[in-house]
Amino acid sequence: MSAVDIPVGSGPTVMATRGLGVRTSSRAILEDITLDFPDRMTTAIIGPSGCGKTTLIRTLNRMTELSPGLSIEGEVLYRGQNIYDPAVSPVIVRQKIGMVFQRPVVFPMTVYENVAFGLRIAKFDEETLHERVIESIQRAALWDQVGDDLYRPALELSGGQQQRLCIARALAVQPRVLLLDEPTASLDPQAAKSVESLITELDKSLCVIIVTHNLLQATRVADRTAFLYEGRLVEVGPTEELFERPKERLTEEYITGRFG
Amino acid sequence: MSTPSVSEHELLATPAHTRRRILTDRLAQWLLLLPFVAVLVPLGDMIYWISERALPTMSWSVLTENQIGNSGGLHAMIIGTLTLIALSTAIATAVGILAGLYTAEYASPRVAQIGRTAGNVLAGIPAIVLGYFGYFLLVLYTGWGFTVLGGAITLSVLMVPFIYRTSDLAFSAVPATHREAALALGSRRIQYLGRVAFPIALPTILTGIILAMALGLGETAPLIYTAGWSSTPLTGLFSQTSFLTGAIWLFYQQPAGLGTLLALAFQAAFMIMMIVIVVNVALQWVAEHYRRRLRGLLS
Repeated sequence: MSAVDIPVGSGPTVMATRGLGVRTSSRAILEDITLDFPDRMTTAIIGPSGCGKTTLIRTLNRMTELSPGLSIEGEVLYRGQNIYDPAVSPVIVRQKIGMVFQRPVVFPMTVYENVAFGLRIAKFDEETLHERVIESIQRAALWDQVGDDLYRPALELSGGQQQRLCIARALAVQPRVLLLDEPTASLDPQAAKSVESLITELDKSLCVIIVTHNLLQATRVADRTAFLYEGRLVEVGPTEELFERPKERLTEEYITGRFG
Repeated sequence: MSTPSVSEHELLATPAHTRRRILTDRLAQWLLLLPFVAVLVPLGDMIYWISERALPTMSWSVLTENQIGNSGGLHAMIIGTLTLIALSTAIATAVGILAGLYTAEYASPRVAQIGRTAGNVLAGIPAIVLGYFGYFLLVLYTGWGFTVLGGAITLSVLMVPFIYRTSDLAFSAVPATHREAALALGSRRIQYLGRVAFPIALPTILTGIILAMALGLGETAPLIYTAGWSSTPLTGLFSQTSFLTGAIWLFYQQPAGLGTLLALAFQAAFMIMMIVIVVNVALQWVAEHYRRRLRGLLS
């Protein structure tokens, strides 16, 4: 576990954390996290419940700000710029760094309007908006299922389709980074599979960061994996290496199922 | 192994205590019908009592003519009541929804608590006290004298707590996941509120508006001190106006010899009842229609 990790593979680092810490008034949730997230790759964050992995991914697009009482130290860099710099607007941060949550959250609107949501609030003209909506639905591998009727209520879709709709909605804003917080946790295996195969498609053009408690999922979708334990980064490396030849005893114990 | 005969089957044998319980259940069901009927009977009785006295002498002239002396119609009062309720609903709705929004979305827990308590206190203030307050502030202090506007503002103070409370509840009930999802797409809070939260909260807010309107329609006291009285229709926001509840109050007290005025009092009561029913049914239809549309989208 080196202080500044050297990315494996081709893409340059899009996101990084430097000495990142998150604390409540009484305790530290994350301490001294220094991690690099390379472009065109999926990085998985794994660890037992309560290790801080969800908090970590939420600091990456300033969603932590919505929970009062958390203080952030250290830096979160997006292409070299600290996103917590007072001059940086969280609205812009979240346009560049999209996020999809554990449970699909579709708005009570049509499929089309759901995908168009981020574009409408960013005041795109109708023509560009329409193109982007279509393109995003196609990128999210949803066109075959919803292409015939984009104006039906989004809540009529199945769970897996809803989650891919949420991904399409995030993609429409054209982020450089996509954060996925346990995106298949509430889905059945079949739907989970469809989302997973979508992820392996998306990381050809995006920096994807996924939190998962499903170790097999990490091995299936992630190029790199970071293991968190009690708020600290234990180990990070290429997924295969981390799972086959972990450097730390804790990592080995966790991935072999001795705890967590 | 022999098959048990039908009468011995375990599913068919009902022990005595179970039978007793079933009986108790049925009894409870019938007993609970009584208070339910007790809710409906006074309303039905009142509708009958008023209709019986209002309908025999009802004619178009009641709607179209102004009251002159002992005769004429309720034209000015109907216009007055409709104007008052439209104005006060507009004011109370705007203030109530925005205040509820602030309480649910922006205020700190402490400030929200203060707002909610204040709303409850306001809802409990007697209408007559509000009327006096309106008289001092909107009649005397402003120098307006008795006006439609003063009446409507006073009435809206009475209505606002109900719209405020339901708006607060409605916005608070929107799942937090919706806010996160919207903000994660680069939405500002106000955009989230307008595009996601408001449509979800609207049906609930509408029920608050119905309640407030029904309440406002029936009030007399706040208006007596603020809106004045006039037997001809209002001519502007700053003219005096008469109103249906005022007509009931005024005409019902007349000496028995003036039967025509007594009839007018009942006709005014009948009108109010009709307006309340129409407003209720109409707004409920809108809310239900909207809710169904939303449900198609909301599941």
